Amino acid sequence: MSWGVAGLRVSFGPTEALDGINLEVPPGRVTAVVGGDGAGKTTLLRVMAGLVAPRAGTVRRPRQEQIGYLPTRSGGFRDLTVAENLEFVAAAARLPGTGRRADDLLERTGLAPFRKRLARDLSGGMRQKLGVVMAMLPSPAMLVLDEPTTGVDPVSRADLWRLIALAAAQGAAVLVSSAYLDEAERAAWVMVLREGRSLVAGTPAEVTASLPGAVVDVDAPTDPARAWRRGPRWREWRPNGDPTAIAPTLEDVVIVASLAAETGRAR
Amino acid sequence: MKAIEARALTRRFGAFTAVADVDLVVETGEIVGVLGANGAGKTTLMRMILGLLHPSAGRVRLFGLPPSRETRRRIGYVPQGLGLYRDLSAAENLSFSAAAFGVAAALPPPGTGTGALGHLPLGQQRAVAFAAALQHHPDLLVLDEPTSGVAPLARARLWDRIREQAGAGAAVLVTTHYMDEARQADRLVLMAAGRVVGRGQEADIVGAARAVVVRTPDWSGAFAACEAAGLAATLAGTEVRLPGADLEAVRRALGASGVPAELSSAPATLEEAMVLAAGR
Amino acid sequence: MQAMVRKEFRQLRRDRRTLALMIVVPLLLLVVFGYVARFDVKEIPTALLGTQAEALAGMLPEPFAVTIVDPEGSRETAEDLLRRSRVIIAVIAEAPPTLLVDGSELFATQSARAAVAGLGGLPTGAVDVEVLFNPELSTAAIMVPALIGMVLTAVGTVITSLGVVRERQEGTLEQLAVMPLRPRDVIVGKIAPYFLVGIVDMAVITAAGLLLFDVPFRGSWPVFIAGSILFLLAVLGMGVLISTLSQTQGEAIQLAIMTMLPQVMLSGMIFPLTSMPWGVRWISYLLPLTYFIQIVRGVFLKATPIDALGIPFLALAALALVVLGLAVLRFRRDLAPAGHRREPSPEPEAAT
Repeated sequence: MSWGVAGLRVSFGPTEALDGINLEVPPGRVTAVVGGDGAGKTTLLRVMAGLVAPRAGTVRRPRQEQIGYLPTRSGGFRDLTVAENLEFVAAAARLPGTGRRADDLLERTGLAPFRKRLARDLSGGMRQKLGVVMAMLPSPAMLVLDEPTTGVDPVSRADLWRLIALAAAQGAAVLVSSAYLDEAERAAWVMVLREGRSLVAGTPAEVTASLPGAVVDVDAPTDPARAWRRGPRWREWRPNGDPTAIAPTLEDVVIVASLAAETGRAR
Repeated sequence: MKAIEARALTRRFGAFTAVADVDLVVETGEIVGVLGANGAGKTTLMRMILGLLHPSAGRVRLFGLPPSRETRRRIGYVPQGLGLYRDLSAAENLSFSAAAFGVAAALPPPGTGTGALGHLPLGQQRAVAFAAALQHHPDLLVLDEPTSGVAPLARARLWDRIREQAGAGAAVLVTTHYMDEARQADRLVLMAAGRVVGRGQEADIVGAARAVVVRTPDWSGAFAACEAAGLAATLAGTEVRLPGADLEAVRRALGASGVPAELSSAPATLEEAMVLAAGR
Repeated sequence: MQAMVRKEFRQLRRDRRTLALMIVVPLLLLVVFGYVARFDVKEIPTALLGTQAEALAGMLPEPFAVTIVDPEGSRETAEDLLRRSRVIIAVIAEAPPTLLVDGSELFATQSARAAVAGLGGLPTGAVDVEVLFNPELSTAAIMVPALIGMVLTAVGTVITSLGVVRERQEGTLEQLAVMPLRPRDVIVGKIAPYFLVGIVDMAVITAAGLLLFDVPFRGSWPVFIAGSILFLLAVLGMGVLISTLSQTQGEAIQLAIMTMLPQVMLSGMIFPLTSMPWGVRWISYLLPLTYFIQIVRGVFLKATPIDALGIPFLALAALALVVLGLAVLRFRRDLAPAGHRREPSPEPEAAT
């Protein structure tokens, strides 16, 4: 059974939060939703977690108790220890106990020596890891993680992505959101959101191949409206192609798609 | 001219040394990125440069002077939390910081309205924070993860502005742990455990660090096999990467599990290099 | 559900402040109501004046505690002693004897009346009891001036601490420290608006108290204003001090509540200080509200002159100085960690 949404629309009062979203979240795959603040990532994830009702479209998701959800910046109850947080999740999910799976997850994330430490005394990265471990503990069919790596340092981020990969390798459908495109390259499938709509979507390779025209690397741009900085040099979008085209990064592709969307709207 | 000159800078908190013997120079017109994991000492270093912390040893000179009220006049600072009053409007925020620096207030960025800043999207709040930090034409910009949470095009626009400042002669110090941001700097400094462990361009930072790349039709099998063998694996799309791992060890682990795979060795990514530098 | 209950208990156990609110406060209430909440006054400072004063000195039963005996004293002397709060009861020992009672001390007055009524062998009307300052024994006349202090404590402490701790919570305090502002600009600029708001607040509450509840104001305005300013400074200092001890607004509110309760109970606003045992009364003398209440009740009802209010004024000034000083020192540490501090080791310039 594959989960996902089709023709999804969500509005809050007059605000259209999501418009015409189609997304598959199959088991055993990491699916990433990327976008800036206010793009609609959190709303999409909350729909999948069953916390927001869509205005239109179909939502296919597992039974509520089969969903592991990590809201933005949660990471456990701060006044409980690591072990107590896991005990709470286990008791709430009616597991016989935290058991070997908890030990295994704590071991993998480097949290094992901190079982007796209060969540509030953990570093930000550690707390996020605890949050993901809590969401994963009952082995849910679908794991929904809202910006698990925002504000997390690279070492903890690597651990978090190992956990996310582990969940998918164990068969869960994993849906992750992020504000950063370099994260998206780790996912098997990416959707970039902008103002509630899908800007580009596909495997990272498909997304980079979908670029209309070409991106070139130049000292100075010929059309500043179609150029952006990369360090001391410039990248420029040539819609009609260019023989000196370079291999674009995901970020380049998203910038081009945003430029195209902006000019399209301006017309 | 040296906007920042830190020599043998050290800061201890009790028995813990947060920053040890760091030398850092940022010339005018230059963008320098400071990278590092949590606890690497980035924040402590930045706080000493800003004059928020006193060094235990070594010294900081800003424009050739010790940090003081006079040097603060020449600094623009955008903290990670933006440092703005969320209950004031964009214009009110700008007018407050303009008054603190004794300059005329800049116009608020378009679309920021007259309502409380806290109700604006993060991207616009960031634009206001930049306007507030730039309106006194600082000679040194200190930015802590300046484009966190901003969409790529808006991020590109913010970097345009940062580049403009550098082009006009300002020195820029950026601390970040996002690779998208790190690539915008002229020069990078990598910190680990309070010390500088790498300097230069992305290639210099990565140095000899490599990763084993596993191409396989069964990534989850390959991932599970590597993890079972105690090798720290990570996912890149449908490939498995093992930064810093030994190719033969990976081959043995995969061979034992019978997962079909094609192995190769590739330069580590900047992020993988940071993780390896942090000692994991 | 069981999981929820267990989690909640565990969290409660960890949250020391809430725990303190749940255990220390009920305990405090019990102690206060048990030992402190005495409306019956055991000892009433009494002055004996007039020709028969010395003869009467040994004869007065409890609760009258004779502290002044003055055969030369007249009615004027008596009123003056009462106005200056030297005594609560003054007996003019002539024939027939007159008992002057300070009506601003409600419970003492009632105890005194009861005691007089209980004096054996005296024909009714033999002793003339006269209640001064508050002849109707109106509760409003006593409570409204004290409430001014109470309300200002709440507003001053809570609002100030919230305003300052918000800078810390939102990270703007760090931004201020990086701006070319002197720490004193920041501190004074931060507190001054609350001080002005406090003054306006005080004016509004005082006016409302006088108009709505028909409370008399018999004393001197300058004395009242001077006392109010000192009190306000102490209260604002308390707010800033609380803010430097808190990381979040929630913590600040909890701390503020913890300082409010003893002020209500022990300041003499409700229960007379004189009926509190010394084990508790010393706390009263550490609270700014205690002294402010002495000043406002005196000024409002008895027109107490300033030279008779020396102790409360001095105490209030000392408290304001200590609390505000401590608060500013701590606030300053957040703002200027690098500057204005001499390092024990010499600056490394010497080495270069």
